[in-house]
Amino acid sequence: MGFIYQVSMKNQNVVLLSVSLPVPPPETVLVGGLPLGAIEAIKASYGVVVQILDPPRDGFSLTLKLNLHKLPPDEEYKNAILLKIASVREVVLGAPLRLILKHLASRTIAPSMGQLLALVHRPNESFFVIPQAEKVTVVYPMRFNDSIDLALATSFLQEFVQARRATGLTNAPPCLWSANPPRELDEAPPEAVKANAGFVSFVIFTRHVEGKKLDRTVWNLSTFHAYVSYHVKCSEGFMHTRMRRRVESMIQALDRAKPDTKEKSKSPNRSFKRLSLKDARTNSIS
Amino acid sequence: MDATSRPAVVIDNGTGYSKMGFAGNVEPCFILPTVVAVNESFVNQSRSSSKANWLAQHSAGVMADLDFFIGEEALAKSRSSNVYNLSYPIKHGQVYNWDAMERYWQQCIFNYLRCDPEDHYFLLTESPLTAPESREYSGEIMFETFNVPGLYIAVNSVLALAAGYTTSKCEMTGVVVDVGDGATHIVPVAEGYVIGSSIKSVPVAGRDVTLFIQQLMRERGENIPPEDSFEVARKVKETYCYTCSDIVKEFNKHDKEPTKFIKHWKGIKPKTGAPYSCDVGYERFLGPEVFFNPEIYSSDFTTPLPAVIDKCIQSAPIDTRRALYKNIVLSGGSTMFKDFGRRLQRDLKKIVDARVLASEARHGGEIKAHPVEVNVVSHPIQRFAVWFGGSVLASTPEFFAACHTKAEYEEHGASICRSNPVFKGMF
Repeated sequence: MGFIYQVSMKNQNVVLLSVSLPVPPPETVLVGGLPLGAIEAIKASYGVVVQILDPPRDGFSLTLKLNLHKLPPDEEYKNAILLKIASVREVVLGAPLRLILKHLASRTIAPSMGQLLALVHRPNESFFVIPQAEKVTVVYPMRFNDSIDLALATSFLQEFVQARRATGLTNAPPCLWSANPPRELDEAPPEAVKANAGFVSFVIFTRHVEGKKLDRTVWNLSTFHAYVSYHVKCSEGFMHTRMRRRVESMIQALDRAKPDTKEKSKSPNRSFKRLSLKDARTNSIS
Repeated sequence: MDATSRPAVVIDNGTGYSKMGFAGNVEPCFILPTVVAVNESFVNQSRSSSKANWLAQHSAGVMADLDFFIGEEALAKSRSSNVYNLSYPIKHGQVYNWDAMERYWQQCIFNYLRCDPEDHYFLLTESPLTAPESREYSGEIMFETFNVPGLYIAVNSVLALAAGYTTSKCEMTGVVVDVGDGATHIVPVAEGYVIGSSIKSVPVAGRDVTLFIQQLMRERGENIPPEDSFEVARKVKETYCYTCSDIVKEFNKHDKEPTKFIKHWKGIKPKTGAPYSCDVGYERFLGPEVFFNPEIYSSDFTTPLPAVIDKCIQSAPIDTRRALYKNIVLSGGSTMFKDFGRRLQRDLKKIVDARVLASEARHGGEIKAHPVEVNVVSHPIQRFAVWFGGSVLASTPEFFAACHTKAEYEEHGASICRSNPVFKGMF
């Protein structure tokens, strides 16, 4: 997804991990080639295990030096850190989102409050965050290349909004889908709000970012596009299953309709006898 | 930045295990059993049931497209609940159930490799005996469902040869002995081209070894719960089996020092949770012996593997035979038994030497033949040699030019997968 990793090992204990971001669209704000707050997020989540090399390797936006001998000896804790390192994409790209949601949780005002923020998540694509004191609105312009994917995704997103209304989900973030850009995006540059599968917006309240929920919310929001495209592919696969089943049943129906040729060959005497038209007809019906 | 600058995805689907990862890596990211667990409970419900049931049915139907697992997860799910049906999409090296195969790829790409299929070229493998129709079908799924930008379908034995390409010299002539879980093929390759008419198949493969071990253990009355016996036999095969040089000597060794050779297997009964243990004895060397003396396992097929390899090389064009004997490459998980390669080389050498002696005797000792060099190559990555070869191939810059692209697919349809774009100029 436009996020490129390069891993090289210097020796047994030192691994260099270089990452390059997807090509950022012009409306996004980057600090030194990285999303807002990314450096702090890396330091906070990896601690002593990781060092940031400056400048990064050629062609990459960030190079991390992992000291494997500094990994904690405790197996469980070690796995947690390794998992964190594996999800470096989320740590880097989700950093601004995490920052904003953290402010929401403490109900304080971040310096950039009240204005529209564009965050990069796919090559030349961004999603928008509108931070306010009581809530944060996240808007995804959805784009698909393939016409079938597009149709499936559009109907999936409409169903998705419908499903939100079910009784069990009253506490989930409200979510909306519209074919046209919502009013919040009026300030955004026009080329950034072109989307062929409509716009999905989520409204995140403080209750969604309390304590441990924060991590999950950030993760779910940063992987939303992958989530939708996985579901689209799955439903495509499911449809193929049903299409194959239908073809099979039709072939069976055709097979049943075939005139029975086996009975004729059973009696050897008849093989040379030419059937009259009438005989042939009665034969085919039987 | 387009898909050609990103590493291609290499997936080698085998009957037993699938190997998947990114091109340029030395090892696959995942090696998973090729199995899918599907929840099919909603299919069997009658449509005309009461309305109260409708909602449950509806939601089951809505989620049905997502309700499946692959690999180890699938095995675990099927053990813990009875709603899931296990299905093995590949049988004897051929795709058998396309529904399951499509779902398997689905999860491989999104849940394991976690990449967007629209961003990567793909390299899939097929056995040399795959029908062109099934190749078309894989192409259709890859281009239609996953919208991959480009696809290359390679023959797995050629990839196995390519895996040796980097470790030694640039040798693209050799015999690939591919012993997988479901199929054993012996494929002669000359200068990178498969000699199709000389491919030999052996109906004995890894699964048969497992079944044979299961049978041996059952006959001896080992205390294994019947529902687990196949899995235990597989684990025993993977951990304890080895190839011996002489069965009789090996039997004697076991009888003299049982404490040294008899291993113990400990497990827990899945239903009751009670622990059990059993002995692992003669099956340690009798399992792999199935390849060298097939008559101990089945009476239908009695030609030993070395004899089949010899027959295969003898049927190849005469000018390639020496080169073929010189480079016999092992691939597939079931060649991982200790000393398998050495035994194969010894037996094959015996057959070849006998033939040379006989021909010398026929000519009355006037003509001396050059001794034929027999060489069985085994390397440490044998288990996923095919995958590694794919990884090497897909990391070369020429790879992207050799792929079928999405644009070509849309122009000509799935029939493009029948031909190999490498030979495009030739006809």
